[in-house]
Amino acid sequence: MVNRFWVSSKVLTVVITMAAILCVPAIVSAQTRSAAPAKADKNAAANTTNKAWVLPHTPDGQPDLQGYWTSLSFTPMERPAKYGNREFLTEEEAAQIHKEGIQHSYEFTFNDLPETPVYDATVYALSAWQEGVAPNRRTSLVVDPPDGKIPALTPEAAKARDAARKHGPNQDYADPNAPVKADVAEDLNLGERCISFGGPPILPGAYNSNFKIVQGPGYVMVEYEWNNEIRIIPLDGRPALSQSIHRWHGDSRGHWEGNTLIVETSNFRPAATFQGANAKTLKMTEYFTRTDQNTIEYKFTVDDPSTWTRPWTAIVPLSHMEGPIPEYDCTENNNDAVNILAGARVAEKAAAEKAKNISQKQ
Amino acid sequence: MKAIVLGFFLVACAAIVQAQTSAQQPGARTGPGGATGAKIPTPGEFPPYKGPRTADGKPDLNGIWQAFVTADIDIQDHDAQAGPHPDIMGAYGAWPGGQGIVEGGEIPYKPEALAQKKANAEKRMVVNITSDDRRHDTGDPELKCYRPGIPRANYMPLPFQIIQSTDNVMVAYEFAHALRTIYMKVDKETPQDPPADSWMGWSHGHWEGDTLVVDSSGFAPWTWFDRAGDYHSDALHVVERYTLASPYHIMYEATIEDPNVFTRPWKVSFPLYRRMEKNIQLVDFDCVEYVEKMLYGPYYKNSSK
Repeated sequence: MVNRFWVSSKVLTVVITMAAILCVPAIVSAQTRSAAPAKADKNAAANTTNKAWVLPHTPDGQPDLQGYWTSLSFTPMERPAKYGNREFLTEEEAAQIHKEGIQHSYEFTFNDLPETPVYDATVYALSAWQEGVAPNRRTSLVVDPPDGKIPALTPEAAKARDAARKHGPNQDYADPNAPVKADVAEDLNLGERCISFGGPPILPGAYNSNFKIVQGPGYVMVEYEWNNEIRIIPLDGRPALSQSIHRWHGDSRGHWEGNTLIVETSNFRPAATFQGANAKTLKMTEYFTRTDQNTIEYKFTVDDPSTWTRPWTAIVPLSHMEGPIPEYDCTENNNDAVNILAGARVAEKAAAEKAKNISQKQ
Repeated sequence: MKAIVLGFFLVACAAIVQAQTSAQQPGARTGPGGATGAKIPTPGEFPPYKGPRTADGKPDLNGIWQAFVTADIDIQDHDAQAGPHPDIMGAYGAWPGGQGIVEGGEIPYKPEALAQKKANAEKRMVVNITSDDRRHDTGDPELKCYRPGIPRANYMPLPFQIIQSTDNVMVAYEFAHALRTIYMKVDKETPQDPPADSWMGWSHGHWEGDTLVVDSSGFAPWTWFDRAGDYHSDALHVVERYTLASPYHIMYEATIEDPNVFTRPWKVSFPLYRRMEKNIQLVDFDCVEYVEKMLYGPYYKNSSK
């Protein structure tokens, strides 16, 4: 299936809005961290003035990536046409976009620019501004190809994506006026079902794009706030899992090259690959480099010749944020599933009544 | 010397009573000569052991661990029994018998709470999912693929992994990818008091000698201790002790306190075993997709209900 969180910001709007309204009442208060605009200024200053910073190491000698990080970003995934081949903004432009981003927080970076907010998160008791995100001078998260655009799909992948859009779970979300198909739970997407919110790679989302990294001897663990999903990455050079074992977030192996943690992931579940890539041929490589006290430069390269006409790479800065990451009880209180399915039954009943009335009048 | 050995067990071993009695029995088995390494192990007894340390000097609990008790079925002594739908499930679905993990055998329920436990057991497979908290009124949370809570997560029949850093002990459970964070310091981000109720609780840990002591509260009232309906309220307070007893074992004990449900604190204990398969790792048991029809079936198109 196509990764719904990618395809359309409208899909994401629907999903996130419903999640915000229905799914997570117990933790909303924990997520509503008050956000001092001063914090942004502090981070911005730290990024530019922190010359004396020394890379910390864990007690067992790994470069230290530990802490709470957010991938929230006001930078679009693909470069807007107006920037042409410009890779970087001026300081002033970056500051302006950052300011707009804060003012319009929770708009989605994938298809919508900061000046086009999708909805006002404060309506749902969420803080208007998530702490931590720092200005980014890049014009797009995609850095390769040099035009800042995701490469063209192969003809087969384009065909498969089109079919998935028409016939996959919640296909009708692409058209807000179409009825939602929700005959059975499998018609809902993986996030609505509390099965997986996707990744790798780490991307910016509308909110909750928060992570915790913990390093133990021989392992790096990445916890996603969404559904408290985790990746445990062994560093001991062990072989990949057998191809008979598939995982919702794939199965990762890591190693250090200098100060960069390189993570290669395979064994994806076919239903949960990034942007509907081919689980059998997708090569996903991530690079984590801590560049200062408040920043990890996170880069990923996706290479899947059966999906894209060439490999491509994006850089998503991870910014330090305050913890903790709350428990995200999802399936335990999955009101989305109940309400979407029950709503579809109500709509069917109403449609049947209407049809009956019309036929009686005739 | 024996006193020192016994003293160690009193501190480190959960099976205190068993350890004392068996160690004093003249029939306690020893290999020829009784030399170190030649002793035939006696269940409930571990020779004195000082485990490895992490780079920051703490006992090293990192690893993949699993309990081998049947407490997830019933934390008290119980017979084997047919599982649900033996007509189609046969031995696949049957539940093994086993000895309980409750020290002293009895759980000190208040009378009205004991009645609730029995009602829970009777309705353990009655699942009625609504879009509000009534969904938690009946049905074993395990059946519904909900986070198991503490201490149940530690004796589910699936492994879990401990990843230990200076400030955090992360416990990742294969069952439903439940995750637990044990904060090793109290600060502004992770204050002593729980910021909100949660299924896996709010936990702080500290080291007492070679033992990791974990104090947890802030529990949602909906987890159970087993399929037999043993339960608690949101006043649950659990203090756990994890002590390496050999390169391959952690002795685990948990003291359970809940004045709404029990007349006094009580204790469970059992060993955890290190999974030793080459390249052992957790895989996915995200059971949501296996329970959806049970949970949401009444809302499906053409549902009979």
